[in-house]
Amino acid sequence: MLILIWVFILYGMERAKKELPRFRRLTGLDALPEMVGRAAEMNRPLHFTTGLGSLTTTVAPQLVAGLAVLAYVAELCANYGVKMIYSVYQAQVMPIATELMKDAYVKAGKPEEFIPEDQVRYLSGEQFAYASAVQGIAERERPAANIMIGPFYAESMLFAETFNRIGSIQLAGTARGYQIPFFAVICDYLLIAEEIYAAGAYLSKDPITSGTIMGQDYGKIVALLLMLLGVLATTFGSSIITDLLGM
Amino acid sequence: MSGQSIWDRLENIPREILYGILLVVFVIPMVFPLGLPVPISSNVETWYDTIEALPPGSVVMIDFGYSGGGEPELGPMAVAVYKHLFRKDGIKVVAMSTSIEGTQLWDRAMDEIRPESYDAVYGVDYIHIGYIAGTETAMAAIGTDLRATTSTDYHGDSLSQFSIMDGINGAEDFDLLICYTTGGDQSEGWVRQWVTVYGTDYMCSVLAMMVPTMLPYQDAGQIISVTSGAQAGEMESLVRVPARGIKSADVITLTHILVIIYVLIGNVAALMKRGGNS
Amino acid sequence: MSITVRKTLPIVIVFVIAVVVMSDYFLVLPPVNDAGTSWTGSAVTSLQNWGIILTAFSLGFGAVNLFFFHSKHISRRTPDQWYYSLWLLIVVVIFTVIGVFLGPNSDQYSWLYNASYFALSATVYSSLGFYMTSGVYRALRVKNTESGIFLVVGLLVLAKNAPALTVYFPVLRDIVSFITGILTTSAQRGIMIGGALGAISLGIRTMTGRETGFLGKLTEEERGGAVG
Repeated sequence: MLILIWVFILYGMERAKKELPRFRRLTGLDALPEMVGRAAEMNRPLHFTTGLGSLTTTVAPQLVAGLAVLAYVAELCANYGVKMIYSVYQAQVMPIATELMKDAYVKAGKPEEFIPEDQVRYLSGEQFAYASAVQGIAERERPAANIMIGPFYAESMLFAETFNRIGSIQLAGTARGYQIPFFAVICDYLLIAEEIYAAGAYLSKDPITSGTIMGQDYGKIVALLLMLLGVLATTFGSSIITDLLGM
Repeated sequence: MSGQSIWDRLENIPREILYGILLVVFVIPMVFPLGLPVPISSNVETWYDTIEALPPGSVVMIDFGYSGGGEPELGPMAVAVYKHLFRKDGIKVVAMSTSIEGTQLWDRAMDEIRPESYDAVYGVDYIHIGYIAGTETAMAAIGTDLRATTSTDYHGDSLSQFSIMDGINGAEDFDLLICYTTGGDQSEGWVRQWVTVYGTDYMCSVLAMMVPTMLPYQDAGQIISVTSGAQAGEMESLVRVPARGIKSADVITLTHILVIIYVLIGNVAALMKRGGNS
Repeated sequence: MSITVRKTLPIVIVFVIAVVVMSDYFLVLPPVNDAGTSWTGSAVTSLQNWGIILTAFSLGFGAVNLFFFHSKHISRRTPDQWYYSLWLLIVVVIFTVIGVFLGPNSDQYSWLYNASYFALSATVYSSLGFYMTSGVYRALRVKNTESGIFLVVGLLVLAKNAPALTVYFPVLRDIVSFITGILTTSAQRGIMIGGALGAISLGIRTMTGRETGFLGKLTEEERGGAVG
């Protein structure tokens, strides 16, 4: 199955070089310019966080997905003249995020407006110290928009509720199933699970990442077919599919 | 606020009032326990039965993978289960931590359990091999070769001096794995690194909000029982060691009823307002 | 630094190690020793131990970063910030000194941990209950059919999770078991499968050099090439 998915993804990447695949609308991502525009009108900053992600753990893919959106939002903020604050949990992410944001400001022709010490803030490597610091940013600086994309843990509810209380418009996305319900209840826009992985491709229109999303979708079709066959086979007393998958 | 009807106010009750009443409802049953009934759910019964069925000589691995914030919820469950294990003859309990606070929390649990009251001796009946960084990497490493991953207990004393560790080299030497965690990385990681690879029997206790996400593993037979720390009262009832868990059950019942009342008030107010407007 | 060192070499290392680890997980590649362990097994064990060491090292790295970051605030006397930074560093030093000289299992360290970090951590965690209450009060409102279903299911699950209520209304257990065991679990499975596929695709992109975020800043020329 893994080899099959690999083949699909490599095929998808090659095919996307010729013709970009089409994505269904992701309302949350379409709302990003609106969120940045709101921050510009209200003359308030925009807050971004990628949660408790580290590049060396199993949640690294979610962090990388968040960084892809960070780059896009940073460019929007640079163009609109909005101050973007990125709260950092893991120190190792700081240099990567700083470079991404600096690139965005340079592309917008406003490199002098990017102040890394003020806009890329390493808060803490401890979950609740980090959560308290982000709540402090919310209370003191009152961002007009809050974007949370990445792996989140118990602090998700703290963030969502605090930013809601100060009137921020919020977009959240995570592949950690435990926290999706909290975001769904409170945030204005939500990206669920693999939508955050598609976010980078959706926003950048990069053929390589778009192609991998296409390959993923082929993998999902195969998974669905196997599930259907498995259900039918098990219903009629055969274990061929479960044996095949080695479960 | 002037010009607002009663329904407007009930639809938008200030947070301060919501939190204030909630705080009172939290505190009253803690100070004056009500002794409300605590039913035993099937997953807690399964957990209890699994431990009851362990024959003498069984070796149990326990991962203290929760943080200080989760201690009020998972601590009572951990204590009740340890007491159950200590009450059974000949069960060896090896603890480790994939959470950096795990060793401190294990110490807290031991202070509450008082192993000496069960004639349990450190190094013979139970041990803690320390915090091992890396979460899934740690789980995989311990499963493959425990001695290569850590050669000392959490005090820094060599494992070879403890009789409990005789013959224990990796996952295949354990009969049961238990994990307490506030992070899904641990609870799911053990499935990937031990259950899938070695077929180890596995039970986990997590935060109540994590249970729905862990249920697919239970349904697939990869986890024997998933419980939440909030069910500690049920475990204490079964093991007959009433403590913090039973006390919390009253708080859980009353606060849930209060939240239901809040939701109903908000909806009735919204409906009456809509009815009034139309 | 040349493109080979900055990009190609790290990607080759990632690719080779990923293949070795995956091979060990799924296959038993010869040569196999007397204990039946493949050569990949001992390689993976070493890699896992390196991984543990690196993770432990990164904790120290985080502490060093903390010092640099907050020292800057103290030296610049950042308004409304510098005294908090000073206090943070003082506490870090106290914990470090006691932990190193008396041991993390000493009574003094335990007291310090229980009196400060544990109490604060549990308090912040507990505040979630309040936030959830206000969130649920606002969110569970009937506005249309879907929100009505959401409300009913939410109320049922809340009622079932109140232990005493299931004694007086045992039907709650059966209804909520169906909701959580069938409906929610199915949805969670779908989310997990989707998330896993996303992680696999990111892994493949990383192994084949098409995802270079972990390499830090690359020039346009460096971004253009790829392995495989």
